[in-house]
Formats: sequence, structure tokens, C-alpha cells
Amino acid sequence: MLELVDLSRRYGDVVALDRVSFAVPEGTIVGFVGPNGAGKTTAMRIALGVLEPDTGTVRWRGNAVDADARRRFGYMPEERGLYPKMKVLEQLEYLARLHGLSKGEARRRSVDVVDLLGVTERAGDRVEALSLGNQQRVQLSAALVHAPEVLVLDEPFSGLDPIGVDVLSGVLRAQADRGVPVVFSSHQLELVERLCDAVVLINLGRVVTQGSIDELRASRDRRLLRVEVSGGDARWFDAVPGIRLEDRRDEAVLLALGEGVDEQRVLDVARATGDVRHFSRVRPTLAELFREAVQP
Amino acid sequence: MSDDRGTWKLVARRDFWVRLRDRGFLISTAITLVILCGLILIRANTAIGRPVFDLGMVGSSVSPDAITRLADTQGVTVHARTFEDRTAAEGALRSGGIDAFLEDDASLVGLHDAPSAALQQVVQAAVVSERLATVLTEAGLSPEDLSSIQERLGSVSLEPGDPNADENGRVAVVMLLLLYGQLFGYGIWVSSGVIEEKSSRVVEVLLATIRPRQLLAGKIVGIGGLGLLQLAVIGVVAATLASATDVLAIPGHAFATIGVALVWFVFGFGFYASLFAVAGALVSRMEELQNAIVPINLTILGSFFVSIAAIDDPNSALATSASLVPFSSALAMPVRIAVHAAPLWQEALSLALLSGSIAVLVPLAGRLYAGAVLRIGARVKLRDAWRAAS
Repeated sequence: MLELVDLSRRYGDVVALDRVSFAVPEGTIVGFVGPNGAGKTTAMRIALGVLEPDTGTVRWRGNAVDADARRRFGYMPEERGLYPKMKVLEQLEYLARLHGLSKGEARRRSVDVVDLLGVTERAGDRVEALSLGNQQRVQLSAALVHAPEVLVLDEPFSGLDPIGVDVLSGVLRAQADRGVPVVFSSHQLELVERLCDAVVLINLGRVVTQGSIDELRASRDRRLLRVEVSGGDARWFDAVPGIRLEDRRDEAVLLALGEGVDEQRVLDVARATGDVRHFSRVRPTLAELFREAVQP
Repeated sequence: MSDDRGTWKLVARRDFWVRLRDRGFLISTAITLVILCGLILIRANTAIGRPVFDLGMVGSSVSPDAITRLADTQGVTVHARTFEDRTAAEGALRSGGIDAFLEDDASLVGLHDAPSAALQQVVQAAVVSERLATVLTEAGLSPEDLSSIQERLGSVSLEPGDPNADENGRVAVVMLLLLYGQLFGYGIWVSSGVIEEKSSRVVEVLLATIRPRQLLAGKIVGIGGLGLLQLAVIGVVAATLASATDVLAIPGHAFATIGVALVWFVFGFGFYASLFAVAGALVSRMEELQNAIVPINLTILGSFFVSIAAIDDPNSALATSASLVPFSSALAMPVRIAVHAAPLWQEALSLALLSGSIAVLVPLAGRLYAGAVLRIGARVKLRDAWRAAS
């Protein structure tokens, strides 16, 4: 398990992280979400040792992470970075060697990883000659080339086309399946919802909420119903105390149920009013949970 | 998986090979070699700076050989030959085949101006000597007596200077130019290498695997190693050519000077490269580098001028102190060594001071580099860089 424990970091007067703690168990994918400037990049840089925290520690398998352990981490920074004039394969071999692989192993792994990400044909080209999408694939190759024990990716999906998104999703899932804890930040919340086992939501340097998406939904105090009734009083729901109208589109309404309001009672009232065309619980999307959490 | 103590070697190897294979590097090395070899060949063909004259002789009692021999003792090369008559000699003079001709041991004829004073002296002495010999022989003097009269004066000095001072000075100038070029050029390469990693953002990928000091050390060793190799190649090629063409009277000294230059390059580069690396880390774009390196520039340039002056006056107070102070010693001391002016204790002191200051400077530079290299955008202030790495 990769653990970030009580991380705090200031830049001058700005508090970038305020006692941030979360864990990424082996074999799971954790989405790290939050608005711009929330502290995601700072937290990831600290996890990789690129930055030092003011206080707090990072642990891997129960031990404080040192330079040696970090060489076995894979990292994709938000600001993509490769040597523009170096050839793809040479570059990957170099990075693999920096991660501690032997010469032969570095060569073999580099060939494998460009194959995995579908850039074998460009392996002999300079990075600057590649399209942005292919550069992104090479960047991910650089994070994977040494078969890392831990993967930390900052906005890995930004700038990818739908096919690239599918390839990357598959790669991350495969990594998790081989037991690697994967944590990545993203603003593409549908993707996070689909791919991640758990989510950590951070705002203004603090963890606002964390857990599996179902847990996040359950922890929300609001319940929503979408009901469509044909005919009768447009404000039929006023007959049930504790209900608030959230949204209306023609005859379809979105209702927020107060505490203790019984859904079946709402249905009864609706049926008494007219023909009920639609009646459903609305499950909040991650995007909605996100907005609720970060809006003051 | 190994520990990360050796990763600086991987960095050094990459920085070395990437630049060695760079076409710009190969071209600039070739150009330097061509210029240097060209200068050596020009010098070889002008008989090492001696004045050279072609002299015609008409109706002279002096033999051309005698004039050439006499000229040689005075440091002048005279190629003398006899013409049948004045018309032939005049023709050769007008066509540029000769510089002047001696007519009937009585007059020296030039084309536009009077012949050069050096040539006049040689010819005058030769004619007078010939006339004296004729008169004395006719008076009954034996050839032995004659040659004892003509014997040249021996000359000795009470405090002889270095007979090779001129040559040593020339070697020192070439060495100084090369050393200056290497320290400055390769220093800039360290700066731009740091900026390249910053502006391409690859530095964050690198720093996720290795410590900033390893990266810095690898870069300095890799680029410095290439500078050392280039300096050695250029120096050995130039010294070999100069020896083969007799431009150098004592080739051993030139090769020893290359050794001196290499040693001082290593220490001088260690000193300046750390500064260049910090300058590179403070900025994010090549265009900003010029401003950031102004203080380093001025220091190296100032040392260069002091060192030029030190070739002529290697024991002045300025030259001596410049060769001891670490900021300038990397250029000034090798110059003084090349002209045989520095006592051994000063060489040792200078090296000790320079390596001592490197030992202090490198950790400071490492900290500033670490504090600045991840901050992309506006130029980083030294104080902020210092604090950021705390």
C-alpha cells in the first residue's frame, strides 16, 4: 500500500497542502480529483520525492519512502517532459537505466513497452518529430519502462483522443491487475468514475472526501427523484411535506427529498395526480458530487 | 536494481555522447583544427619570422655563398645568385624575382625604395670583409692569420635569460586562447544543457529518479570530459604539426604545456561549470541566459586579459596574484607555468586554493541548482533558490 500521511507544504504564504492523507492499496486504481490549484500536483511531486513536504511522510509497504524505493516508482508529470532531440528507444533505455535496470534489461523492456503502447514504428525517431498523441504514449512508456511497483500519473488522459484514452485505460487496468497501486489525477470525471476503484477529492489543499464512488454517493445527505406525471396539478408534490423542486422540464420534475420523506408516499401522491410516466431515483454523478463538495 | 550512487555516470555518459555525435560539435572542432594548422603552416613557410631576401649580384668579387653565410649569422636569410650583366639583373628586379642587386661591389640597387636596412648591412659587411681580405692577402698575410682576424666575437651573458622565451610566449598565447575558449564554450554548454532539460520539462522526469546533485555532477563531468578530450586532440595535433614543420624548436615544451593546460582545464572547469549550471537553473529560456551569465562572463574575460599581460610580464604583482586567486588562476597560472615563471610552491598553492574553492562551491551550487531547476517561468532569484532547497 502506498500511503501519503499528513502531508503539508507551503509556498511562501500559500498553503498548497494541509495535512493531506490517503492510501492507494496494491491492485487498485485511485482517482485524484479536485479543482485547478487544489494541490494535486504538489501531492504527487512529494510522493515522487521531486518536492520535499514541510511535514508528513510517504510510505510504501509500511516503510518511509527513500531514494532507492522511489527509483522503482513510475511517474508521469503534468508537464510532459522528454529530450526532444533524443530518439524514442534511446531515451527510454536511458530512463530505464536511471531507474536501475541493467543495459540488456533496459533495452528489452524499452522494446516491450513501445510495443505495448503502439509506438514501435516510431521507436527510431526523435521525440520532437512525433505527434503530440504519440509523444504522450512515449511519456507513458517512460513511466512504465522499468516495470514500476507504484504508478503515479498527473493528468495522464489530458490531450488524448478517444482511442488513446481506451489504450491508456487498458494499460492502467492491466497494471493494477498485476498488483500495482495506481493513482492518477484527472478532470475527466466520467472517466474516473468508470475506471477507478476509489476517489480522493481534494480542494484548497485539503482532502474533502474519499472512498469508493458508491460510498461517496451513500454519504451524500440528499436524495433525488425524477418524476414525470401527465395531467393534474403542476405542483402536485406540494402535498408531501419536506420536498423541494430542484428542476422542471415540461411535466418532468427533479425533486429533493428531505429527511424522513418516504419515496413510496411520493409515488402514491403522483399516481393520485395523473398518469405516472417516469419515476426513478437519481444517482448523482461524480461531477455532481464534485461540484457540491467544492462549491462553498 | 542497484542503488543510485552511480547514476551520475549514466548522466555523464549521455551528456558526453549526445554532444560528441552532434554535427555542430564535429564541425566546430574541424574548424578550430583547420585554423590552427593553417597558422602553423604559414609560420613554417615564413622561416620562423626571419626576414628573407632575394639578392642579385653583378660583377661582384664576393661569392653568393659568403653572403648567405654572413646573413645567416645576423638572423637574416639571403638567397643570393649571380647575373651575367646589369640588364639581366634589372629585368629580374622589375619582375619581382629579386629584391635588390649588388653592382660591382659598389652599389646596392633597389626598385622603388632603397633596399632594406638589414640587407644593406649584410651586403656592406660582406663587401668590406672581402675588400679587407684582398688587401691583407696581397700584403702577404697567410690564410690562417686572415681567418683568425675574421673570427667572430664570442658572446656571453652574466644573467642569461631563457633563450626560448619567444617560443614559450607563443606557445602560452595559443594555450591561453584554447583554454579560454574551452572554459567559456563548455561552460555555456553546461548552462544550455540545464536550460534544455528545464524548458523541455524532462527535468521533472529525471528528478523523480535521481537526486539533483547526481544530475548536476553527471552533466558537469560529461560535458567537461568532452571539453578535455577536444582540448587534448587539438593540442596534440597542433604540437605534432608544429614540431614536424620545425615551427617549434623544443617540441617537448609544447607537449608539456598541453599537459599543464589539461590539468588546469579540469580544475578551472570544475570551478566555472558549477557557476554556469546555477545560471542555467535560474532561467527557463535560452534568451534569458545572456543576462544570467554576465558576472561569470566578465570574470573569465577579465582573467583572460590579465593572463595575456602575464605572458610578457609573468612576475608582476598582478600576474602573480591573479595566478593564485581561484577566480582567475585557471587561466593565469597555466600561462605563468608555460613561460617558466611560476615557482613550484606557487603552482601547488594555486591548485590547493582552486580545489579548495571547488569543494566549497560545488555543494553551494548543488543546492541553488536543486532549488531553482524545477521552477519554470520567471527568472528565479538566488535567495529564493537557496530557500527552496532548504
